[in-house]
Amino acid sequence: MPVAPAAPEATPETLLEALLAKLSRRVRADGAALAQPGETEPSVEATVWLALALRVVGGPAAERSQTVGEAVARMQAADGRVSASPLHPGAYSPTSIAILAWHGRPEFAAARRGAVAFLLAHAGEHFPRLPASPLDMDTDLTGWPWIDRTYSWAEPTALALLALESAGEGEHLRAREGRALLLDRQIGSGGWNYGNAQVFGSELRPTPESTGLVLAALAGRAPETAVAASLAYLARVGPALRTPLALGWASLGRAAWRQGSDDPDDADDPNNPELAIRETLARESRYGSYETADLALLAVAAVAAHSPRGLLTALGARA
Amino acid sequence: MNREWLVTRQPSRRELLAAGAIFAGGALAGCRADLRPRVCVARAASYAVDLEPILRVALAEIGVARSAVAGKRILLKPNLVETASGAGQINTHPEVVRAVAKVLRALGAAEVLVGEGPGHRRDTLLVLGESGLPQILVEGRLRFVDLNRQRGFAVANAGRRSGLVRLTLPVVLAEVDWIVSLAKMKTHHWAGATLAMKNLFGLMPGSFYGWPKNVLHYAGLQESILDINATVRPQFAVVDGIVGMEGDGPIMGTAKAAGVLVVGTNLPAVDASAARVMGIEPARIRYLADAAGWLGPIAEAAIHQVGETLASVRTPFALVEKIPAQKALLDQQSGAGY
Repeated sequence: MPVAPAAPEATPETLLEALLAKLSRRVRADGAALAQPGETEPSVEATVWLALALRVVGGPAAERSQTVGEAVARMQAADGRVSASPLHPGAYSPTSIAILAWHGRPEFAAARRGAVAFLLAHAGEHFPRLPASPLDMDTDLTGWPWIDRTYSWAEPTALALLALESAGEGEHLRAREGRALLLDRQIGSGGWNYGNAQVFGSELRPTPESTGLVLAALAGRAPETAVAASLAYLARVGPALRTPLALGWASLGRAAWRQGSDDPDDADDPNNPELAIRETLARESRYGSYETADLALLAVAAVAAHSPRGLLTALGARA
Repeated sequence: MNREWLVTRQPSRRELLAAGAIFAGGALAGCRADLRPRVCVARAASYAVDLEPILRVALAEIGVARSAVAGKRILLKPNLVETASGAGQINTHPEVVRAVAKVLRALGAAEVLVGEGPGHRRDTLLVLGESGLPQILVEGRLRFVDLNRQRGFAVANAGRRSGLVRLTLPVVLAEVDWIVSLAKMKTHHWAGATLAMKNLFGLMPGSFYGWPKNVLHYAGLQESILDINATVRPQFAVVDGIVGMEGDGPIMGTAKAAGVLVVGTNLPAVDASAARVMGIEPARIRYLADAAGWLGPIAEAAIHQVGETLASVRTPFALVEKIPAQKALLDQQSGAGY
């Protein structure tokens, strides 16, 4: 399957144009995306994230959004899930991104309903809390796992919550319990990691990518006082972030709570996400070619930074 | 059998993996094939010391010869878990990566790559950036591979100690000829100790195994360590014990300087010697006990120790009584009866 011809090269005038130009070189004619330039097999993760980015960016990008959205629909299994690989149907976290990408698109409404039903019907493993457990968490709370039939972790739970919120299921019992799980996993001194605040009495360290994602999922659904230490953590580490995942999710998390840059057009503001994204792109030569999904995340973050409540308002899923 | 295929084309690592035909280090062409695998313990007082000559001698001692290395594409797998200011004991030190890469290049390696798939962190590049490795990658023109995000290919689980029938490995493993485990000498709150064998958890893509690699925990931590090692069969290992970690490892423990590098082609033997340096009886570590007589020896008499004597570098690592996986090790450490 040939890669679709990219738009003629031009000096990008805006950050979004630069990101979209990069992304357009990784899309095949059938709408499926490659994880890296030069690869031959499409990537589910790359395709769902590209679909979401095109959906959020809108405008002329929306033309290709239809084709990419259809490619995602072709990747969906009969039970509604979208898995990272046919080898691993249990790796179903792309389902949440697909639900977000299909938001407000009547042509994908049935596919989206199937995906939402799948998420609501599936949960991470849980078990009664043991008195002697070295884990300081409520193991009986149910969220979502990275991989089916394993434990519920912070990030896949947060992704599922964002998806359910966009689909009008934010009050569902599963969503409420998912939020309780996230608050239970918050690190005492602020922030989240993969989903484990303390083991054998040692408080573990937070990470900006996990913290940003969880904060994005809790925005509007948890009191600010409950996450104040985590917002403070992101405010502390955010200005220095220059890798796509951490920067992208930290920006989305802060935007969801109306934090971050006071003026997204202020080029001297260290919290200016546009400046940070440009510097992050400039570091690609150091790290090697970024994943398509991560470039798409940066595009989403660039748009959402200008939205009053981040990703969900950028999607039109929240006022 | 198509004999033409045999003479005109070298099978890829993927094909060898699929055929279960990758052999443990020590049986490699051009490498010493002692009945008792050699493990070299080399002193290195700090990371400011030039590690390249130390490792050159160590590799010669364990029988990794130019004839074996020449033309090979080699993946170095350091232990990059997470970063924290002042906590250099968490990750394999960049200077160890630099020195191993330089020695292998000098021995004629066609390409040396560095790859890792951190177990807790999805932003591998952030961990990498904060680890100090990028400068070494740039200077050494070493390509880095995020193993968590690579496409996977499935192979039969050659170990079958866990219930996993197949393992999904990152495609780079099919593209390289050798894999080298560059581990950190650390205690571990679930496994007792994490050394060269446990380090291979980082080969397994998070995309298919999760963050943490929970599929492997559900399948059995100790069993999964054995399965990955039985399936992947790295060619040699270096355990960075110049500064290791004691106490609540593998991330929250404190720095412990043992001042050694432990190097060998047979990973259970390397780990057994490293454990002895830490003052831990290797047979008390379940995955090492289970590996004995199968993946390699762990009894002291079954290992050909070269370099420093174990007694001369023994540096007991603190263990935590309230951590069950360490309590059993603590009981024997206080007795020191090995």
